[in-house]
Amino acid sequence: MESSPRTDHQNGGGGAAVARPVPKAQAIADLWSEYLGAEARENDDFFALGGTSLAGIKIIDRLADEYGVRLSVRAFYLAQTPARVADLIAQGRAGR
Amino acid sequence: MTPGPVGDLDVDTVDLFDLDLYEHGDPHTIWDVLRAKAPLHHQVLPDGRQFWSVTRYEDVCRVLGDHREFTSERGTVPTHLGTDDPAGGKLLTSTDPPRHTRVRRAIGAKLTARAVAPWAETIRRTVVDFLGPALDGEVFDLADRALLLPAMVTGPLLGIPERDWQELVELTAMVTAPADPHFRHGSEAATLAIAHHELITYVTEWVRRRRSVGGDDGSLLDHLMHLRVDDAGLTDEEIALDGYSILLGANVTTPHTVSGTVEALIERPEQFTRALADPSLIPNLVEEGLRWTSAACNFMRYAVDDVQIGGGTVPARGAVVAWIGSANRDELQFPDPHVFDIDRVGAKRQVAFGFGPHFCVGAPLARMTLRIFFEEMLRRFGSIESAGAAQHLRSYFIAGMTHLPVVARKRPAS
Repeated sequence: MESSPRTDHQNGGGGAAVARPVPKAQAIADLWSEYLGAEARENDDFFALGGTSLAGIKIIDRLADEYGVRLSVRAFYLAQTPARVADLIAQGRAGR
Repeated sequence: MTPGPVGDLDVDTVDLFDLDLYEHGDPHTIWDVLRAKAPLHHQVLPDGRQFWSVTRYEDVCRVLGDHREFTSERGTVPTHLGTDDPAGGKLLTSTDPPRHTRVRRAIGAKLTARAVAPWAETIRRTVVDFLGPALDGEVFDLADRALLLPAMVTGPLLGIPERDWQELVELTAMVTAPADPHFRHGSEAATLAIAHHELITYVTEWVRRRRSVGGDDGSLLDHLMHLRVDDAGLTDEEIALDGYSILLGANVTTPHTVSGTVEALIERPEQFTRALADPSLIPNLVEEGLRWTSAACNFMRYAVDDVQIGGGTVPARGAVVAWIGSANRDELQFPDPHVFDIDRVGAKRQVAFGFGPHFCVGAPLARMTLRIFFEEMLRRFGSIESAGAAQHLRSYFIAGMTHLPVVARKRPAS
């Protein structure tokens, strides 16, 4: 992949053996709230909260930093709620 | 597509965002009535969002052309109606003059007719390769194949390696027709967000890689990284956004102009024969094809203050959709507008590339590519026929086709 900027879109572990918090839906909702300018709750819909791809880019980066799991772009937007995103992170941790 | 009788259409119940109208029907039947009876049309969607529409040539040019009355900074794409563009003032298409003027000039320097002329022979070879399989005697799905044509043509110019073309074409198609079953992933909103995110990430990664490896291949993306506006470069975010916008603009319109113009020629063998006999008509064939297909069906602006237009008032902050597809069939500008005529006088007044400050920055490249396409097609094809039903894109933003099966026969050596 010499000159291709393709990125890996798979779910995958962050690798680092540091202690990472357990993904809790409300904590993820709080993180969303920082970028959406709206109060997010566990089962709120990302798009109904005014979510955009520019916010999504920042949220996926933050989730990767905090939980050590980089979510695929598709999985993140298709999950659409903090609760389901928490499940995805848990699955990513489990190496699925 | 020639409109049928419209009867007594009730303009108050017209739904201009009815996707079935674009996939299965004919929006010209509606636009014709709106131009005549309701040149400023107001619509409230079931979810409460509302927008005004202008359909006359003169009004469309005014909305697209005057940023003091109609701003681009809150977004210009109707699929985002009601949500202010988070990239406003950064993404070039969502930026008003004077900033827009300076950035556009810097980007456009690489895309003038003179600047793109040296690409002609490379493009010609690409077009010849593209047309080759159409002459093997089998059914050739022109609309489906053409989706990849702009990537083949502009990939080297942009600096995009061939292995990435297919995926980028799928992503850009998702942006333009998020409701089309060919491209949809989950909801429309999810489809749009996935495509935006992956395209912006693609450019960001491209830039990161280029910086770490160094060098400059003279590509358009390199140009974005290095251009200077007011003694400063673009920010990384602006580079990513404008790179995204260029990928989008390159990919999503030209294929539909190609397919739609070829379809018009299939339906009118006498026009095909004329073009075959006189290649000097090709530049006007291209203009008439642009007018006829109007692939970018509309763009949106927001009224800055209360504004009088089309015999009515758009309130301050109201969204206005300028229907380019309708303007290009305005009988006041184009006599017998629903006649496809490669000899049409004034075809070049079409506004398929938009109008005013945001006139398509890639227009010279698109015009050259279309001219070369039809030169090579007419040099090789003696005839072309339909081989099945065309399928139209499920989109009110981009007018185009997903399938156009054709059978072409070789032009006998003369």
